[in-house]
Amino acid sequence: MKKFLEITLGILTAIGGFVDIGDIVANAESGARFHMSLAWVVIVGVVGIIVYAEMSGRVAALSGRAVFDLVRERLGPRVALTNLLASYFINFLTLTAEIAGVSLALQLASSVNYLLWIPLVAFLVWFVIWRVKFETMERIFGILGLVLIVFVVVVWRLGDWHTLSATALHPSIPKGEGIPTYFFFAIALFGAAMTPYEVFFFSSGAVEEHWTRTDLMVNRANVYIGFALGGILSLALMASADLVLSPGGISVSHLSQVTLPAALTIGKLGVAVTIVGFFAATFGAALETALSAGYTVSQFFGWQWGTFVKRVEAPRFHAVVILSVIMAAMVGLTTIDPIKVTEYSIVLSAAALPLTYFPILVIANDPDYVGEKTNSKFLNVIAFSYLVLLVIVALATIPLMIATKGGS
Amino acid sequence: MVGMRAAIAALALLLSACVAPARSFSAYEGKAVKTAEDVTSAVETARLAVRVAIRDRTFAPTLSVILGEAEKDAGAAQGTFDSVQPPDDRSLELRSKLDELMQPAVSALADLRIAVRSGRLDELQETAEPLVKIGAALSAFSESHS
Amino acid sequence: MTRAGNRIDAGLGLLDRQILDKDGKDSGNVDDLELFAREEGGAPYVMYILAGPGALARRLRGRAGAWLESAFERLHHSEDPHPARIPFGVVKDIKHSVELSISKRGLDVTTIEDWVRDHFISKIPGAYHDPGGTK
Repeated sequence: MKKFLEITLGILTAIGGFVDIGDIVANAESGARFHMSLAWVVIVGVVGIIVYAEMSGRVAALSGRAVFDLVRERLGPRVALTNLLASYFINFLTLTAEIAGVSLALQLASSVNYLLWIPLVAFLVWFVIWRVKFETMERIFGILGLVLIVFVVVVWRLGDWHTLSATALHPSIPKGEGIPTYFFFAIALFGAAMTPYEVFFFSSGAVEEHWTRTDLMVNRANVYIGFALGGILSLALMASADLVLSPGGISVSHLSQVTLPAALTIGKLGVAVTIVGFFAATFGAALETALSAGYTVSQFFGWQWGTFVKRVEAPRFHAVVILSVIMAAMVGLTTIDPIKVTEYSIVLSAAALPLTYFPILVIANDPDYVGEKTNSKFLNVIAFSYLVLLVIVALATIPLMIATKGGS
Repeated sequence: MVGMRAAIAALALLLSACVAPARSFSAYEGKAVKTAEDVTSAVETARLAVRVAIRDRTFAPTLSVILGEAEKDAGAAQGTFDSVQPPDDRSLELRSKLDELMQPAVSALADLRIAVRSGRLDELQETAEPLVKIGAALSAFSESHS
Repeated sequence: MTRAGNRIDAGLGLLDRQILDKDGKDSGNVDDLELFAREEGGAPYVMYILAGPGALARRLRGRAGAWLESAFERLHHSEDPHPARIPFGVVKDIKHSVELSISKRGLDVTTIEDWVRDHFISKIPGAYHDPGGTK
């Protein structure tokens, strides 16, 4: 059990990244529209985030420096500022969506309109950051989010492996869907897997927990298990939508629709667990993005940050978090569609990815930071290939978004 | 900074592109098919939700949210389509044909939502009955025009 | 591992690095340097590390720089706003971070931090709660 608790940082990071409000719906939607033809993208994304999160965690453990520190050191203030503005913008959009997402989960349980929940949810997000110890927070929401494994149970019960493997192994574009739309969804799924706030949060979390040289194994376990789990949940959502929703021609655009597979195959208990999972995952993602907003800004300017010091010792960090949460709640109250917001922000984040991952790769090879634990040649080859892939994706993103009108 | 501005511009473009005018019959027909598919999705969502609700496999609040959203989606799809100017007489004909299918879909979904929110869960099956035909007709419409 | 006093590439080895005070607290970034040459055309020495938005603004140039500079001037309460100057003599070590031999309280790097604490964060209940980290 103690060993298990050590990997909750990775689990929370992955759940917040892979199955937050936008991804829950995007995964289900891609399953409903493209069957399992996009499953390979999730796997490519999982490997990519594992490679880079491991590096960011290793650098954090050995040097005590988190990712945005490195971004500025390696790219200089001007480029780093561009990255900061882009990352903050994405973070903020995602935070807005997650606060609304938690509210949507509460609406499913209560049928009270989600807008009424937003102020309370925003307050709770801030309160947890303000009051709850980092490790406690990470354990509660990491473990609670794991109940989304209910989607694996759903797929298991349906047991139609033949249908699933047909499109998973031989991806094809279904009739009525265009090639650009397929790639738009591919980028959305890839962007969700590699969304930058995951490494901001993961590496800063490692510093929050005072990881050292002795935690390198813990780092690896966190990364391998956490992100693999995130990928499995993501695939299970896709598969359950493929089997249950796709046959009726249902295209997913609401969180509520994603409860249907569990309702059909398990019943009330399944729905209840699903809603708890939605709540935990979106709340976890809200914490992750709210904290990342504070981490990135503080690390860019060199301010004291973190919840491991007294609040008064990191005043600017907490000020950024508080203001971000308040603004996000206000934007959420404008009835802006939270699911559309994250889908766009994921795709936009694809454009900012290279600026975040390049410095990590450079520093993970710098003995000043990691001593003799620099990247192996093999790792560098993989990491560099991903960097090339990220640049291609970044260049393709905006034209695709316009061509497909946002995947509609 | 420039990238950011481009992204925002793209986003604005995208949002404004939602109700682009149709310049030809085939473009109009494409929009009609997309609309029919969206309404079909809402109808089928509601049918599935009712199916699980009758067998007591979901909660009333969840069902109520699903049906409310299905109704809203169908209404929105219809509204968006109706606001597109038909470019010629054939399009006009197509429009009335699709409207004839959408009208009952939207009102059947409204009936369901009303039944659930006033707690008449025992009438669900009966109220959902018309959706079977409507869903089939909409699917047939999409099939024949794509 | 470069000791203070040795020759280092100031551009890569110093600029934009994190500054840590003697208690390991984040004390800003190396936003700029003030150099001094002992004789005409001689090798320049680092006299001061400049930290804070005022110094960063000058390096950013452009519109972002101008915006940051005006924001800084508004936040800074003194008559003549200037970036914090940290004498190079208090630098204890330069690794991946620049480590100081004194506390950041003794330097004027905390002007804005103090303001935000005194006017905002310290007024929220629980602000002085000790999280009791694992360290």
